[in-house]
Amino acid sequence: MAREQFHTQLAALEQELLRMGALVEEQIARAVQSLSDRDLALAQAVVDGDDQVDALEMDIERHCLTLLALQQPMAGDLRTVSTALKIITDLERMADHASDIAKITAQIAGEPLVKPLVDIPRMSTVAAYMVRSALNAYVARDVEMALLVIRMDDEVDQLYRQIFQDLLTVMRERPDAVFQASHLLFVANNLERIADHATNLGEWVSYMVTGRRKVPTG
Amino acid sequence: MSGEVMLETSDLSVTFYSQAALRSVSLSVPTGTVMAVIGPSGCGKSTLLRVMNRLAERSPGARITGAVYLHGENILSRDTDLSHLRRRVGMVFQQPNPFPFSIFDNVAYGPRLAGERRHEVLRDTVEASLRQASLWDEVRGKLRRPALSLSGGQQQRLCLARALAVGPEVLLMDEPTASLDPVSTARTEELIEELKHRYTIVLVTHNLQQAARVSDYTAFLDRGILVETGPTPVMFTAPRESRTEDYLTGRLEG
Repeated sequence: MAREQFHTQLAALEQELLRMGALVEEQIARAVQSLSDRDLALAQAVVDGDDQVDALEMDIERHCLTLLALQQPMAGDLRTVSTALKIITDLERMADHASDIAKITAQIAGEPLVKPLVDIPRMSTVAAYMVRSALNAYVARDVEMALLVIRMDDEVDQLYRQIFQDLLTVMRERPDAVFQASHLLFVANNLERIADHATNLGEWVSYMVTGRRKVPTG
Repeated sequence: MSGEVMLETSDLSVTFYSQAALRSVSLSVPTGTVMAVIGPSGCGKSTLLRVMNRLAERSPGARITGAVYLHGENILSRDTDLSHLRRRVGMVFQQPNPFPFSIFDNVAYGPRLAGERRHEVLRDTVEASLRQASLWDEVRGKLRRPALSLSGGQQQRLCLARALAVGPEVLLMDEPTASLDPVSTARTEELIEELKHRYTIVLVTHNLQQAARVSDYTAFLDRGILVETGPTPVMFTAPRESRTEDYLTGRLEG
């Protein structure tokens, strides 16, 4: 088989992408954890951890550009490299949202929660699961799994609408809770954005496998 | 692009002493486009090119079936006037092969063979052809110098000018940059881009990046079979056939 070395480098690229994905997944989980536990130290760790995500993004980006310049990949290999370039942008944005959630923890950690967090951790679990599934789909070239990720976004959207209604009710009933409730709304909004980026991952993986950019709906 | 077909092979098979070189190849080349033919060594791409101006039949043991249509006319027919055909279908080879004459006489060779004697007509044709081959500025005033005194890249462009001088409709190029340095290669590729507005070009190349850069359509041949053909941007980003994918990504076995 020709181009052995190049294909080894492609496999290494996939590993780097998995590592970045695992880190982002962890950032999301820890950000929401810091909120539930009102754990300022953990929140700070998430904010600090964002630099690591950014550094990984730059590493992978450099790796991709080097492969494009030196190896001139074609067909499926070209789609693998260009998909990696797109995926890391989405992952990086997700980590920013995780970091924003951790900053909200710092804002509202001083007061007790107006209500126990149920749907927000649930939303975060689904979003993180979407990230993991999309990256598994990338490595396994599994278009079914990629399409499943895209469909999971509906569940996140539904949770978002639910949280929105609940927090609106809280704010109506307890004017003193408006400050915290509106921050929690931002948290839900950040999670909703994270799931949107995860949906993009699913779409990119589907393109990489099939060569078709448009994802069949329904 | 007009959408018309300039050149078309239909169920074209070629064997050399019962060894199949092409198996039932049906390929259309639209007018005014560049068709790149790619594939591993021995896949039949040079044979395909050499059938298109009827050079292949001169190889020992050659047997050809099917048809090759130029503007709808089967050039494999017995009645085809070969010298007329080769004026319509010019060829540039891998190694530049100028005749051991002057630059002028190389380019004027075809028109003279076709009976042109008027010096001013020959002079104009030579100049126009050298200009089209983007060699004029380098050789004007030196047309009496021997062609073999030119550099390799210049010789290749001279051979192109020689092919253009007889007013072809189709240009067949067999690895035209294989023996050229990167600068001459880039120039030749630029030239192909300019020439395709006037001529229909079939380019055989081992250089996939070159095929990707200069062609409008790409045909992939493997073991004499036309595996896949399509617009070059599609072929190089999302080919349909797994054998094409394997070839383009260097995963094709034997």
